[in-house]
Amino acid sequence: MTAATAQLLGRLALSWLAVVAAAFVLVRLMPSDPVEVFLAHVNVRSGPEIVAAYRAQWGLDEPLAAQFLHWLGGFVTFDWGVSFETGRPVAADFAARLPYSAAIGFGGMVLAVTGGFALGFFAAHRPGGLADALSRGLAVAGQALPAFAAGLVLLWVLGVQLRWIDVFGGGSVERVLLPTLLVAFFSLGPMSRLTRAGFAEVKRSPYYRTALAKGRSQAGALWHHGRAAGVLTLVAGLAPELAWIIGGTAVAEIVFGVPGVSERVVQAVNHRDYAILQPYIALVALWVALVLQGARILRRTLDPRLP
Amino acid sequence: MIRGAFLLAGFGLAASAALWAAGYLQDPHAIDLSTRLAAPSAAHPLGTDHLGRDLATRLVWGAAPSLSVVAIVLAGGLGLGLLAGGLIALAPPPLGGGVEWLAKTTLAVPTLVTALVLSAIFGASILTVSTALLVTSWAPYALTIAVLFDRIRGEVYWQASEALGATLPSAVRRHMLPNAWPALGGLAGADAGRAVILVASLGFIGLSADTGQPEWGAMIHEYRMFLFTEPRLVLAPILACTLVTVLLHAILDRGSN
Repeated sequence: MTAATAQLLGRLALSWLAVVAAAFVLVRLMPSDPVEVFLAHVNVRSGPEIVAAYRAQWGLDEPLAAQFLHWLGGFVTFDWGVSFETGRPVAADFAARLPYSAAIGFGGMVLAVTGGFALGFFAAHRPGGLADALSRGLAVAGQALPAFAAGLVLLWVLGVQLRWIDVFGGGSVERVLLPTLLVAFFSLGPMSRLTRAGFAEVKRSPYYRTALAKGRSQAGALWHHGRAAGVLTLVAGLAPELAWIIGGTAVAEIVFGVPGVSERVVQAVNHRDYAILQPYIALVALWVALVLQGARILRRTLDPRLP
Repeated sequence: MIRGAFLLAGFGLAASAALWAAGYLQDPHAIDLSTRLAAPSAAHPLGTDHLGRDLATRLVWGAAPSLSVVAIVLAGGLGLGLLAGGLIALAPPPLGGGVEWLAKTTLAVPTLVTALVLSAIFGASILTVSTALLVTSWAPYALTIAVLFDRIRGEVYWQASEALGATLPSAVRRHMLPNAWPALGGLAGADAGRAVILVASLGFIGLSADTGQPEWGAMIHEYRMFLFTEPRLVLAPILACTLVTVLLHAILDRGSN
């Protein structure tokens, strides 16, 4: 067990390092010099000696491998550098914003998973019924509607037509609840379709028919014999969905003006604030690697037959 | 799917010709402050925006960035996927295994994050968006094609064509691709839809390719303060997005059901 855990951690660290190193090289490939961008941004009169001083201060005159090791050491000790734009430490900025993003992302996923599982069960229980149609409609809407557009329409309906919420002056409920609902809305359809597929397979199996023959109700037999299969399919599909959630929260944060991490990154992209990018990529890569490995472990625990 | 692509191209041509004939390919920037926020009428079928620009004309022009990205992504994704899928199935293990590992890893890369990072580094353009989509969408094609290759190599007709001395490209074209279309069409339909949505999303957050040109996401962003007073300005581009996504899906994904 410990050897397996060590191997797992090693693989996780290795894939994270590979992604982060690739991103590091990619950011260095950018056509404009960060020092020039910075000097233009802070409106300082530039000269060769000033540029050279900044290059030395930021360590840009070292070889690439040394720069990377230097950066990696800083990242691990939460020294993530300083934003060009605000001059504040990036780590503190992210730490203040992370709770919002995490609340939206996790809240949305929990809603989507529980709702999707229930919807998928009822959709499989009665194919072609109301739950089935609803789950299919949600899946299609999730693919065909841009998330930000759905958010705007939500604002319009709740804020203007029904006047249930105070759109822009709202407190933390409006700030977190609506984006959470938006994230959940876009994951609910796929989750329910996956669960439905898992349960549908059970319905074709001989043990389900035997359970019916023994006199169990359809719903009872499906729940008793099928929920393990349903959970397993859901977990298999959950990993990519959790990895993608970062994109989903980004859009929700922007539409509803939530002060989360992604909102900051979009600002940074618009203002070419490169200091924000590298830690962001590292965080996203860490999250994706953790989610994929976590899902693999969970599936193995649920179904020991899996390799 | 080939038929679908031709159908799509023909449909696009016919639509542009009809639009040109009906006078919708005029200047989308023509400002007329005397008809600000006009309601739909014969002269302006969808009305005008806050600068008196014709909404229908801007909608039509706004299709250009989305559709060019869709074309690049479909062609590139299919080409790359075919190449990588062939490598996974046919190349010697170290290379094939490496490509397979890369494809499986790529499956988890979030598209929007890639697009954000690439636009930060290289600036926002149609090429940046297409690259972000390509980077994250070649893997499903590659893995699907690799599985098909594996399956087809056990078939008698494939072995017969090998025995007859058919070259690999011609065998691929004749025996492999026709079998692959249904599965690939489904992927392509989903990808085309994702491309339209991603272009609009990036436009909405202010990273559209060319801020001067009309683009659906940028239009939604520009008109969002009229959401409460003139909802048609916001709803029209949203509906255009949805309609194109569903249409692309329906046309490309015909073989799979």
